[in-house]
Amino acid sequence: MDGPLDGAQRRRGVVRAPQSLVAGIGLILLGLFGIWASSDLEYGSLRAIGPGLMPFWLSLGVIACGIALAVAGFTHDGAPLQSFTLRGPVVVILAILLFAITIRPFPFGGITTPGLGLIVAGPLAVIVGGYATHEARFLDLVTLALLLTAGCMILFGDLLNLPIPIFPNAVVQALTGTIPARTMLRIAAGALALFGLLLMLLQRRSHKRGTVDVARHSLTT
Amino acid sequence: MPDLVSNLGLGFSVALSLQNVALCFLGCLVGTLIGVLPGVGPIATIAMLLPITFGLDPVGALIMLAGIYYGAQYGGSTTAILVNIPGEATSVVTALDGHQMARQGKAGIALGTAAIASFFAGTVATLLIAALGAPLTQLALIFGPAEYFALMVMGLAFAIVLAHGSVLKAVAMILLGVLLAVVGTDLETGQERMTFGFSFLTDGVDFSVLAMGLFGVAEILRNLDSTETRDVMRERIGRLLPSFADLKQATPATLRGTAIGATLGILPGNGAVLGPFAAYTIEKKLAKDPSRFGRGAIEGVAGPESANNAGAQTAFIPLLTLGIPPNAVMALMVGAMTIHGIIPGPGVMTKSPELFWGMIASMWVGNLMLLVINLPLVGVWVRLLKVPYRLMFPAILMFCSIGIYSINSLPTDVIMIGFFGFMGYLLIKFGFEPAPLLLGFVLGKLMEEYLRRSLTLSRGDPMVFLERPVSAVLFIIAFAIVAAALLPSLRKSRDEVFTEA
Repeated sequence: MDGPLDGAQRRRGVVRAPQSLVAGIGLILLGLFGIWASSDLEYGSLRAIGPGLMPFWLSLGVIACGIALAVAGFTHDGAPLQSFTLRGPVVVILAILLFAITIRPFPFGGITTPGLGLIVAGPLAVIVGGYATHEARFLDLVTLALLLTAGCMILFGDLLNLPIPIFPNAVVQALTGTIPARTMLRIAAGALALFGLLLMLLQRRSHKRGTVDVARHSLTT
Repeated sequence: MPDLVSNLGLGFSVALSLQNVALCFLGCLVGTLIGVLPGVGPIATIAMLLPITFGLDPVGALIMLAGIYYGAQYGGSTTAILVNIPGEATSVVTALDGHQMARQGKAGIALGTAAIASFFAGTVATLLIAALGAPLTQLALIFGPAEYFALMVMGLAFAIVLAHGSVLKAVAMILLGVLLAVVGTDLETGQERMTFGFSFLTDGVDFSVLAMGLFGVAEILRNLDSTETRDVMRERIGRLLPSFADLKQATPATLRGTAIGATLGILPGNGAVLGPFAAYTIEKKLAKDPSRFGRGAIEGVAGPESANNAGAQTAFIPLLTLGIPPNAVMALMVGAMTIHGIIPGPGVMTKSPELFWGMIASMWVGNLMLLVINLPLVGVWVRLLKVPYRLMFPAILMFCSIGIYSINSLPTDVIMIGFFGFMGYLLIKFGFEPAPLLLGFVLGKLMEEYLRRSLTLSRGDPMVFLERPVSAVLFIIAFAIVAAALLPSLRKSRDEVFTEA
C-alpha cells in the first residue's frame, strides 16, 4: 500500500486533493441515486408529510456535501487517493456469498442451491476466505476450518440450540428416524475435531522432519 | 436517597442471583475473548455474540450483553497496551503510553492500572446512573414528539462535532445514515421506499447487519491491506499490581478521567468517544513534565481508561431514561431489548423495575468481574494475540457469518454484511468515518417518526419546534455547537484534542 505522500510534497496539478474530489463525486452520485430511487414517492404536505419528503431532502443534502467536497478538491491541498488491492475484498466477499448460499437452500434466479448446512458452509467460508491474503497456506486453513467448525457446531448447535442448519438437507432426510439429531451432531463434530487435531499434529511433525512423508500420511489417514 | 438504596438493593438481589452472576461472568469472559482480537471492537463483538443470548430470559440476556460490552471494551484496552493496535476509537489514547509502558517491561502494571482505573470509574458511573435514572425518567414524561426530535437533532450535532476529521465528511455520513434508515416500508402509509422490489428490504436494513458490515467485515478488509506490523510483546508481562507510588501517581488522573468520561458519556451523540481524548489532553496539560507523555506515563493510562469506562457506562442513561441510543453500541442494545420484547425508554423503570435496577447493579458486578478474571488471564490473551492474522481473520469471518445468520435465519443478511463491508472499506479508503453513519442510521427512523408526528400535531406549523421552550433550547444548543465547530479557532483546538495523540 502506498502511504500518503509527504505534506511537503506539493502537487502541481489542478486537482489538489484527489481523495476529496473522488469522494465528493461519489457522494453526488449516491445522492442522485437516492433521488431517483425515491422518485415514485409523494412528498405530502407539512401537515401530513409523505413518504418521499425525507428521502428527497436527505439526498439533496448528500449531494450538497458532495459538491462541497469536490470543490474542496480543487481549492485545498489534501490527501491523495489510497491504493486499493482487489484480492482482499473480492475473496472475502466471495467467501461470505458462499456461506450465504450454502447454509440453507437459497433461491437464485430459477435455480435453488441445495442447503448444505454449517458442516459445509463453515469450512468453505474459512478456506476460501483465507485466500484473501498472499500468505494463505492450504493445510493450515483446512486444519483451522475443521477445528472451528467443530467448535461452532457444538457451541451454536448443541449448547445454545440455535436454529442453524448443521447438516445437508439430503443427509438429514435420509437419516431421520435412525439417529437422534443431537447425537449425530456430536459424532460429526467429534470426527471433525479429530481430523483437525490429527492434521495439526502431522503438520507439527512435518515442520521437524520435512514435508514429504506427511503428504503420504495425510492421504492415508 | 432512601429510594436509591432500596432500588439498588432490589438491583443487587437480582444481579447477585447465581444464574445472573454466572451469565455476567460468561459475558465478560467471551466479550474479552472476542474483543481482544485485533480489529474487533465492541460493536462487532456484540453483533457477533448477540445470538448467544437468545435463549435466556430478558434480564439474564441483558446482563450478559452488558457483560459482553464491558469485556469487549476491556479487551480493546488489552490489545492497545500489548500490541499497540487499538480495537476501537476509544482505546487509541491508551495505546500511546500503555504500549510504551509495555515496552519498558511494565505491561503488567499498565494492565493493572487500566483495570483498577476502569473499576473505579465503573463504580462511580453505576452510582451516577442509579441516582440520575429516576429524575431523568420524570423528565422524559414531559417530552413530546417535538422535544424528542430536537434532542435527536442535538445528538447528531454533537456527533458531527465529536467525529474525527472533516466536519463536512461527518455531515455527509450522518445524512447517508439517515437516508439508509428510510429504506423499507414507511410506517405511516405502508408504502415501500427504495426497496427496488427486493423482499428482504421491506423491513428495512437491519441494524446489526449494517453494524457488522461496517465494523466487522470492513475492518478485516482494511487490515488485509496494511502489511502486518504487530509486535506482540516479547518482554515479560511483569508484576500486575501497581506499587504504592504508582497508585499515588495514577489516582488524581483516575478521578479526573472519571469525571470527564461520565459527563461526556451522558451526552447524546457519541459523547463517550471524546472522553479518553479529553482526559489525555488534560492530564498532559496538568502534568509537571509533559514530555513524559508518550513515553510511558502512568497517568496517560489511568486517565483515559477511567474516562473510557465511565463514558461507556453513563451512555446507558439516555437509553434507559429517554429511550434514545446515544451511540452505536447502545443501538445494538436497543435491538437486543426489542428482541426480548422490551421497549427501551422511560417505561422500563416503572414497568419492569427488576430489569432496570438489576441491569444497573450488574454493571458494577461486571466491572468487579473484569478486575478478577482479567488480571490472571493476561497470559491467555497474550497467547491469543500471537496467532497470526492470516489465521485469525478467517475465524472472525466465520463468526460474523454465523452470528448474523442466527439473528434472523436469513441468508440475505449474510450477503448484506458482505455488501456493507465493502461499502465500509470504500468509506475508510476515502477518509470517511463509519461511526457517524451508524448513529445517523440509529436515530434516523426515530427522527422521521417524531418529526412527522410533531408536525401533524401542530397542523403543519414548523414553528412548533421553537415555540416549545425545551425544544427551542435544544435546537439552540445544536446550532451553537455546530457553528462553534465551524469557527476556525475552535476547529483548531478540536483538531488538537484528536491529534494530540
